[in-house]
Amino acid sequence: MKNMINIGSRLAIICAVSAIILAVVNSKTAPIIVLQQENAVKEALEQVSSGYTVGEQQTTDDPEINYIYPLYKDDSVVGYIMNLQSNGYGGPMKLLASFTTSGETLGVKLVEDSETPGLGKKAESNEYMTKFIGKGDSTPLPLKKSDLTMSEADSVSGASITFGGIAKALSAGSLYAKKLGGAK
Amino acid sequence: MMWKNLTKGVFRENPIFVIGLGLCPTLGVSTQVVNALGMGAGVIFVLLGSNIFVSLLKNYIPNNVRIPSYIVIIASFVTIVEMVMHAYFPSLYESLGVFVPLIVVNCIILGRAEAFANKNSVLDSILDAIGMGVGFTVSLILISLIREVLGSGTITLFPMGTFDGVIEIPILYTAPMRVLSLSAGALLVMGYLKAFFNWYSSREEGPAK
Repeated sequence: MKNMINIGSRLAIICAVSAIILAVVNSKTAPIIVLQQENAVKEALEQVSSGYTVGEQQTTDDPEINYIYPLYKDDSVVGYIMNLQSNGYGGPMKLLASFTTSGETLGVKLVEDSETPGLGKKAESNEYMTKFIGKGDSTPLPLKKSDLTMSEADSVSGASITFGGIAKALSAGSLYAKKLGGAK
Repeated sequence: MMWKNLTKGVFRENPIFVIGLGLCPTLGVSTQVVNALGMGAGVIFVLLGSNIFVSLLKNYIPNNVRIPSYIVIIASFVTIVEMVMHAYFPSLYESLGVFVPLIVVNCIILGRAEAFANKNSVLDSILDAIGMGVGFTVSLILISLIREVLGSGTITLFPMGTFDGVIEIPILYTAPMRVLSLSAGALLVMGYLKAFFNWYSSREEGPAK
């Protein structure tokens, strides 16, 4: 019994010392991490905002759209930035995309994914998204590989599921932007 | 004797190719050279910390709870690495993903605590940790260099100034051997390198009888 208490207390002391050290390190790094995440969000928003003023974050009732930010130009709503939920080859993906009120895609950025490096991961680059930009109002967004031109189709080969996931989320976002229109 | 503790990890007892420890993170993160460097640095730091503390506390830690004690020590160092990496190298943290917390159960670290640090002096344990850590890092860099150059035609390093950190290799960049950047490629490269190590060490020992 005495031996057990001895062993237990020694283990407890090791754990306690570890916990204290971790608490000290955490108190130093936690504020930096928070700051960095805020900056990352801000940077991503700026990248897709196309120069319009970004409004306050709003929630939506659509399960595919996590939240939206209205885009303003001279106090009137000209479009929306949406955080879209989708599924890729490696699991859930999150996209940040901006649309005009007529549903035209202004900018897209893949903000969270676990796609295969060298294949689906290529969707993180800005060049990948050019095939969607400017589409969604009168010209429809590409949904299948056959909707793309030859060179565009080459860039998604080997990662059709990633492409499909992004396309589906964007068309949902475009429709939602149309539905909202310039209201609010 | 002391010198041997340092060098054995790099070649004769290379943790990946000879002992065969820590293969899971090796296969998982070796898609880009920058991941190998980050992972290697993390493992060296954790290995150094855990070996020093296990060696220092070897008489204090009761024998029947030594494994839980080692895990607590290792997990503390891994958590420190995770927090520091998240704060100062967020892109590296993103790409290493789940493999950072998994350093806790990396067999190299627990293996060295159990097989070396709890029997040897602090100085020897430090040398062992550096040797094994460097051996792990060099092996990881080797695998990821082969996989990244052939598999995606690039070499990704840290971005510095105007240099964005990615070296593109002509020809291979436009027509990469994609299979090497997938999981199957990791096993292939790993297998060929292990075969090469075996061949080399058997040649060193002289022909088999």
